[in-house]
Amino acid sequence: MILKKKKMKITVTIIGYVVLLLIACIMVVPFLYMFLTSLKVTYSAYNFKFSLDELTLANYVQIIEEKEFIKYFLNSTIIAVSGVIISVVFSSLAGFAFAQKQFYGKEHIFLFMLATLIIPSTVTMLPLYIIMRQLDWLNTFYALILPIPTAMGVFLMRQAMLGIPRELIEAARIDGCSDLRIFIQIVLPLVKPAIITLTIFTFIGAWNEFLWPLIATTDGTVRTLTVGLSTMRSQYTVNYGLVMAGATLTFLPSFIIYMVLQSKFIEGVTLSGVKG
Amino acid sequence: MAELSQWVYDTPAKKTKRKWRIWEMTSYAYILPLLVILIGFYVIPIVMSFALSFTKYNIMQPPTYIGAKNYMKLFTDETFIKSIQNTFLFMICVVPIQTIGALLMAVWLTAWKRSWLARFVQSVMFIPVISSMILIGIVWRILLNGDTSPLNMVVDWLGFAPDWLGDSDIALFTLMGISIWKNIGYFMVLYIAGLMEIPAVYHEAAKVDGANIFQEFFAITIPCLRKTTVLVVFLGIIWSFQIFDLVYTLTGGGPGNATMTMVVHIFNLNFKQFNTGYAMTVANVLFLINATFVIVQKRFLKSDS
Repeated sequence: MILKKKKMKITVTIIGYVVLLLIACIMVVPFLYMFLTSLKVTYSAYNFKFSLDELTLANYVQIIEEKEFIKYFLNSTIIAVSGVIISVVFSSLAGFAFAQKQFYGKEHIFLFMLATLIIPSTVTMLPLYIIMRQLDWLNTFYALILPIPTAMGVFLMRQAMLGIPRELIEAARIDGCSDLRIFIQIVLPLVKPAIITLTIFTFIGAWNEFLWPLIATTDGTVRTLTVGLSTMRSQYTVNYGLVMAGATLTFLPSFIIYMVLQSKFIEGVTLSGVKG
Repeated sequence: MAELSQWVYDTPAKKTKRKWRIWEMTSYAYILPLLVILIGFYVIPIVMSFALSFTKYNIMQPPTYIGAKNYMKLFTDETFIKSIQNTFLFMICVVPIQTIGALLMAVWLTAWKRSWLARFVQSVMFIPVISSMILIGIVWRILLNGDTSPLNMVVDWLGFAPDWLGDSDIALFTLMGISIWKNIGYFMVLYIAGLMEIPAVYHEAAKVDGANIFQEFFAITIPCLRKTTVLVVFLGIIWSFQIFDLVYTLTGGGPGNATMTMVVHIFNLNFKQFNTGYAMTVANVLFLINATFVIVQKRFLKSDS
């Protein structure tokens, strides 16, 4: 009887392992396919034969030699990094005021900010396009960077800063510490985890954003990688290897961040989840 | 200067009071930058969207007021009706599958968390989440396009080789599948976080009472995850209505209107038909749907606590 139970347990475990392996394959194979195709110059999506001496970096060389791609890559980097900076700076400034200061209309202004989370960017894109057009900001970095911060950031920062004991800040003030110094030297170091979370999510969000850059860039000057990739696909319909090399390079930054900061992602998802 | 001399003669108590006032007043400077951005890029646009939906407008010429005509047009616009139908069908199919799938995966992987394979699967399931939808669209397009696509070469021996993106009966379901594949890892991580918050005593108590795994699952795990489930379901619904990138790269809304969604329709109305006023009308409907679901979600969470 016990033996039978044990046997069954082993069977279940083996089946479980097989299913998990299958799930892992389904998740990874498209990315593996992307990467392997990028290393071939056979111009065919249907050629599954890989031999080590056939692998080549020719696609990567070609794509890097093409000035456009490098420009898009730089544009995406500039936009995502600047977006992170203004997001973190503005959100933590506002979060500090909401968490540690008293002022008239505090609750109302905070609720007002949170209420903007209800407005999807797919709804604001057309009016935003009109505004940017009026300001003559289309095809400039302003149009792509300035709309990046959302109320999510201030929610996150306020939440983290509420945990800082008031006595600590009052003590610093009595010691004659200026407002800004308290913020920079005492508050910011204490909310580092929240800053890291906000940084990761803003960066990946901005890096992957497609619809707004598609609308706001009518020429190539500030075009991002996602938009460039989508035009490249229609340009090189047959040269899958080249497109896949572009896709791999687009994927790389997010992937590296994920590999290095995996535990932060889990934390971040949980934090962004509780916003409710 | 006057300020400064005042400062010197003030009593210490008054000084503290003044300092407090400065402390208070600077608050507004702290919130101002973000407030300007949120008003400029969220509040003003939504007001504009509302105002311009009552006009005939095409960006080039100034808008002319036409009353509620754009809203009447919604009822006869076949593409709009189709896009609403598609979006609801998408939501009805995707949300239950990804919610139940994410829950089961989370419970399974948490139970097996000592096994390296389970941990590996957990990390791997998050990879599609961090990658751009455009990239996913491009890769899947190559994997699925045409009768002789790589995927079809694999499923050929099962006896069917559908035209995943070209067949109007199948295309929408293909998009659903890819969407689930991309997002399920995110929802699973939400569930894993929820599972970690369930006190271990509950499970121990269930074991003492002689409950089997299924009884434990339904009597303890599911009720304790109520809050997470509300979140997963409503995020799933809201994301279903926002779908654009995937459709844009994979089918462009076609074949015919088979995969038309609301956002694709808005995009086409503005950038292909240059009917901005009406595009904003459709966008307002999208906003209303979105707002309704957010408010209903808040109600659900409130009734909890």
